[in-house]
Amino acid sequence: MAEAEVLEETGSGAGQQAAVDLLIGVTGAVSLDELRIRVSEVLAQAGRPGPGRVVVAWPGGEDATPVEPRDGFELIPYRVPPVNDGGAWAQISAAQRGVLALAAELKAAACLVLAADLEALHGEAVQTMAGAVLGRQCDLALPVYALTRYEGLLNTAILAPMSRALYARRVEFPLPFEFAASARYVECVAHSHGANAQGVLWPLSHAVQEPMPRNAGVCQVHLRAHHHAPMEGLDLTAVLSQIVGALFTEVELTASSWQRLRGSQPATVWGEPHAPVMPEEPVDAREMVESFQLAARNLGELWSLVLPPVALLELKRLARQPVESFRMPDALWARMVYDFALAHRLRTMGRSHLMGALTPLYLGWVASYVQEIALLPAAEVAERQERLARAFEENKPYLVSRWRWPDRFNP
Amino acid sequence: MWNQIEQALEQSMQRVFEKIATLLPGLLAALVAVLIFLALAWAAAWLTRTVLTAVGFDARLTRGAVAIAEWTPAYTPTLLVTRIVFWVFVVTGLLVGVSAFDAASSEPVVSHAMFAFVPRLIGAAILLLVGNVLARFLSRSVLIAAVNMNLDYARLLSLGVKWLVLVLTGAMVLDHLGLGQQIVDMAFGILFGGIVLALSLAVGLGSRDLVSRSLEREAAKPVELPTQEKLRHF
Repeated sequence: MAEAEVLEETGSGAGQQAAVDLLIGVTGAVSLDELRIRVSEVLAQAGRPGPGRVVVAWPGGEDATPVEPRDGFELIPYRVPPVNDGGAWAQISAAQRGVLALAAELKAAACLVLAADLEALHGEAVQTMAGAVLGRQCDLALPVYALTRYEGLLNTAILAPMSRALYARRVEFPLPFEFAASARYVECVAHSHGANAQGVLWPLSHAVQEPMPRNAGVCQVHLRAHHHAPMEGLDLTAVLSQIVGALFTEVELTASSWQRLRGSQPATVWGEPHAPVMPEEPVDAREMVESFQLAARNLGELWSLVLPPVALLELKRLARQPVESFRMPDALWARMVYDFALAHRLRTMGRSHLMGALTPLYLGWVASYVQEIALLPAAEVAERQERLARAFEENKPYLVSRWRWPDRFNP
Repeated sequence: MWNQIEQALEQSMQRVFEKIATLLPGLLAALVAVLIFLALAWAAAWLTRTVLTAVGFDARLTRGAVAIAEWTPAYTPTLLVTRIVFWVFVVTGLLVGVSAFDAASSEPVVSHAMFAFVPRLIGAAILLLVGNVLARFLSRSVLIAAVNMNLDYARLLSLGVKWLVLVLTGAMVLDHLGLGQQIVDMAFGILFGGIVLALSLAVGLGSRDLVSRSLEREAAKPVELPTQEKLRHF
């Protein structure tokens, strides 16, 4: 088929052409020349995934048109759904949804979503992530990033353990920059509607709820990529509002699914772990403990609207601990996160205030955690994170009870 | 003599009963009007809630830029609109009731005075409500922001903001009702001006040394990465 014909067909009726084996979508502005060169290199390294077409998608504007196919792949623009609000990650999620919508339209066998910095656009990543999906081993392949013990703390504290407890899959990074998805997963997300089709995209939650089958596979791949978070420079409360607020919203939207799930299944991990890029520097927790203590003196009235008396009592006791021995119990932290998720749903107070009230508690947890893991070897740090995740799982019945009977249930 | 007393009593009782007999239809009319409007209010509130729930009003409003929930978090937008519709009907019912009462009586004094005062009363009530919501919202915002900025006097700051807004609201409400106008104006001017002047003096004179010491300390401090920046939360 002549190149001009391919171009014409992709513009009008893309679904009528030869099947698409792999669609690689970039979720942000990128230089097309650089993208073309990088993809050519990747395909040369990793090889073509099959006899079908390889499509590379980029977020084109209204007037963007497909670029002539060259080097064995096509460059097609996709439309990013409009985003009203929600911050930087909502923009990324909108682009991720745009990529998945194009993949559904082209009926791609696999879709690989990549961050705009192209950190993960290398042969190894494409081979392992797309391979995991194309080999029918899983419907959703999520990355495992190599981070130091002082990176991704919000993920360690809330996102990973809460996602695991609610969605019953042991996934390390539930809010990834990159992921690979099978055709049926793509169909599910692309055809989701209402509130599920907007806001921040949590790939894992779509994988465990209908219409995806119960046996949908979720796996993980060690990924050599180090990203700079798009919300660098924002204050901590704003980051919590954007990320944790989005998780709480997702929890509310998927309540009918996660209340039925119990325990958790491991998600197979492919590939070899990589060494972290950033150096590890020891951290002094004093400042964070002092922030927590100041909040305990001043925010008690606000916390009492969200937390049960037992938790308030424990917080008072914690605030009296000296900095060196400051430790926040996992069960207390897990229950407090659940209480805040419930308050988010019930709108006990304004959501910006709620996240502001959570900030010093989170700093207290970080202070406790960094002091605990400072001298531990890497394997024991992982064990420490596992203990926290188990605490979230063990306390899930508490969340379910409070969620079902917020007024009747007296903790 | 006894006959005269008896006659006076009979006449006064007759007058009272006549008055009651004159007012009773009006009272009953007012009661019926209030009951009918109460029933209408319930029906209208139910209809509003059903329609708004069906069109996904809360979800639409949450997605948009209007953040009513931030100001009155305990109520969803649907609940707020429903309640407003309900109370509009109830207030209308009361006014119709008063009007019916007056129509039945010979001198329409009550409704005349009431209708003249009602707009002011409603305006004052709205001012009071908005002022209270604003005071609570701002005091919480200041408290949380100040705590997260590690300011030791966070609670004091928050209380100050709350009372400033409440005092301002109180003065506006009294002014709107037309009660003690000059006294309120003067008292508010003196109080507000006094607070601002006191704060200016406190910062300008009392904290001069503190500010200069703080600036010197900041300038002399070695450049060191704060703890928060060594950590990467996300």
